[in-house]
Amino acid sequence: MGHIAIVTDSTADIPEELTERHNIHVVPNILVIDGRSLEDGKGITRQEFYTSLPGMKAFPTTATASSGTYQQLYQRLLQEGFSQILSIHAASLLSGIFNAASLAAQAFGQCVRVIDSHYVTLGLGFQALAAAEAALHEPLENILALIEDVRQRVRVIAMLDTLEYVRRSGRVSWAKAHLGELLQIKPLVEIRSGQVVRLGEERTRRKGIERLLRHLRDLGKLERLAILHTNAEDEAQRILDDPRLDLPVKPFCVNVTPIIGAHVGPNGLGFAAVVR
Amino acid sequence: MRPQRAKTIRQLPVDGQALKRLIEAGLTWLRTNQQIVNSLNVFPVPDGDTGTNMVLTMQAAMDEISDSHERNFGKMAHAVAHGALMGARGNSGVILSQLWRGFARGVDHQETLDANSLARAFALARDTAYKGVVRPVEGTILTVSKDIAAAAEKAEINAIDPFEVLDEVVKEADLSVQRTPELLAVLKEAGVVDAGGKGLFYILEGMLRFANGLPLDTALTTVQPLAAMTFENSLETIEPGQDFEVVVDFRPTNSLDLESFYSQLQEMGTSIQVGEGEGIYRMHIHVPTEKLYEPINYTRSLGTITKASIENLIEQMETIRATQGGGRLTLAPVEPGQIAVVAVSPGAGISRVFASLGAAAIVEGGQTMNPSTQEIINAFENLPTDQVIILPNNKNIILAAQSAAGLTVKNVAVVPSRTIPQGLAAMLRLAPDNEFDEVVEEMTEALDNVVSGEITTATRSVEIDGVAVIEGQTIALHNGQLVLATDTIENACLGLLKKAHAENYELITMFYGADIPKSEVNRIEDVVRSAYPEQEVEVQEGGQPHYQFIIAIE
Repeated sequence: MGHIAIVTDSTADIPEELTERHNIHVVPNILVIDGRSLEDGKGITRQEFYTSLPGMKAFPTTATASSGTYQQLYQRLLQEGFSQILSIHAASLLSGIFNAASLAAQAFGQCVRVIDSHYVTLGLGFQALAAAEAALHEPLENILALIEDVRQRVRVIAMLDTLEYVRRSGRVSWAKAHLGELLQIKPLVEIRSGQVVRLGEERTRRKGIERLLRHLRDLGKLERLAILHTNAEDEAQRILDDPRLDLPVKPFCVNVTPIIGAHVGPNGLGFAAVVR
Repeated sequence: MRPQRAKTIRQLPVDGQALKRLIEAGLTWLRTNQQIVNSLNVFPVPDGDTGTNMVLTMQAAMDEISDSHERNFGKMAHAVAHGALMGARGNSGVILSQLWRGFARGVDHQETLDANSLARAFALARDTAYKGVVRPVEGTILTVSKDIAAAAEKAEINAIDPFEVLDEVVKEADLSVQRTPELLAVLKEAGVVDAGGKGLFYILEGMLRFANGLPLDTALTTVQPLAAMTFENSLETIEPGQDFEVVVDFRPTNSLDLESFYSQLQEMGTSIQVGEGEGIYRMHIHVPTEKLYEPINYTRSLGTITKASIENLIEQMETIRATQGGGRLTLAPVEPGQIAVVAVSPGAGISRVFASLGAAAIVEGGQTMNPSTQEIINAFENLPTDQVIILPNNKNIILAAQSAAGLTVKNVAVVPSRTIPQGLAAMLRLAPDNEFDEVVEEMTEALDNVVSGEITTATRSVEIDGVAVIEGQTIALHNGQLVLATDTIENACLGLLKKAHAENYELITMFYGADIPKSEVNRIEDVVRSAYPEQEVEVQEGGQPHYQFIIAIE
């Protein structure tokens, strides 16, 4: 067992196989459907969630795990013998997770370092993965530098099927104005400095996907790649089969967590990539 | 303008105050002949009218100097140029403003005007105007400016005073305008001379008439062919007190004495036009309420009235205001450093669509009402960012937009969209946080990603691009080119979609205009849907005047 523990939250979207292999500790966030609180990953599958989302009477809400949850985890890990904890989380401008973890960390002084990844889903996940891979053999400073380095090279871009969910989430200021209300549009967005910025729109899904692919190809050689989707498995898989792409080893597809997907809506398609 | 007063101008030194009167004369004479210039429209579509645009540009120049007591000719000329620049509307207005700009440079520091400096001014006017256009086209106002500069240079050698130069300039302008169809095939095909060149001729001729003591406020006693009469812009030429538009068709009992016919009508109102076709005369006039029936009674005394119509202009204007005011526009918020888009829109519905795609400001205007340079500047001057992209959305507004871009300290680029669908396609590429140049490039590239269709009613009979059009027919334009004329809006829509090979595309978006009933829109929507079952069809309110449909195919 290494001396540095890596903690993240369920918005990192790291496949279970990888969290297990690299011993990453994942704190689930909370999904609230019809007044019922569910731990992320329990009670409803991702497929079920996105299938039923458009028909839900009340807009599902999300909540961060409590500070107490983080405190208990940090306590336990330190008791298990870790000397240092790196806790990497979703962009603080988009969620309260970083805040909750930071509050919990105050009790542990220098032993717990909480890091704002400025990203969500695998934009965050790839930073946590890189840290976990290095945690076995590298000192703390090198791991911190590595996280910073990956953050500089990560890009998260997505095409949404509709702007409606982003608008309702209230987390993206530009979506509040009547953007996209009249014409059918497929907005393209990017996570940049912890915020969701507009990359423009396309009128049809096919063109939206084309543009998404163009963005991906423009990145050149990749170190890591995850195709992100909200119940658009087939289209996500087709991107991986696209011969024009210069794929890194072991790219994978992720049906994004409902914690994020509730604010994105079904049939979204995107990617998180670390450029070389 | 009385001949006595006017005559003195040829004897006095031509100073700043004299220029003011000459400008007023040029404007007045142009306005008198505004409808004639408007009727010189190559395409039979309701378009940005050249005469109206040039009048409004000259009016802005006049407004700039009307209260000025400046005696220095050069300084006054610069004020004229500034006024014209800010008030420039449409391509012809922008080129006119460039002519004044060059003209002013030619008379820099000149206390009074002499023959030599006038010739230099015309030469610099020509140079500045040519430089202001990316691809100068011969057979236009540019050619006329070139020809008169040459004439002025020749005349200057023996001229005693600047008016002798002006004499020759006006003669040459007239000839040059007559030659324009030989230089520009579209003019020849449409059987017209260049409207901008003709407008310039009237401005110069008005100055000369004033100098010679000839009247300027008497409408020309000429008769146009009926088909050339267009009253599309009656609302734009409306003058205070002229509440009604009266149009009377009549067959005179005896041959019509035009001279006295015109002078009688002038007692009643303004904007007089007379047309004739196969013995039927059509008279058009704007009158105040109390004289509403006078033109009809008077015409009845001359012959048999076959048709008479009265329209309440004030009421029409109220209606337009009401419909445009309805549904307030929510524009996208812009933060400092972000890129803001200013879009020119011809209708309330289209404005809402641009707003819904993130436009930060809308300038009203389009086919028949080209916004001025100043109006475009006003739209972005107060936005909290220095990075601005203008979408003119009309070929006649591109130059004014470029002129606006050159007159501000802000970083302004024009993405030259020629149609509404092009503007919308560009709008979709807006990434407000990206690099400015990169976004401009992306948006410009996107202009070609969409096929534009426009459905309107032909304003006159003509054969153009090999398509024979009869006035009143519904016509379709495919990427700005006339492709067919037919009898129903439905057939025009279907014909256009066929020409555009809509079956090879994914999405057909139709913006319906202000002049078509919703029931008709719904019916045509159904027809289009069943004709193109594989394509998505979206129908949106556009609210644009004159054009029943603007169609984007992508």
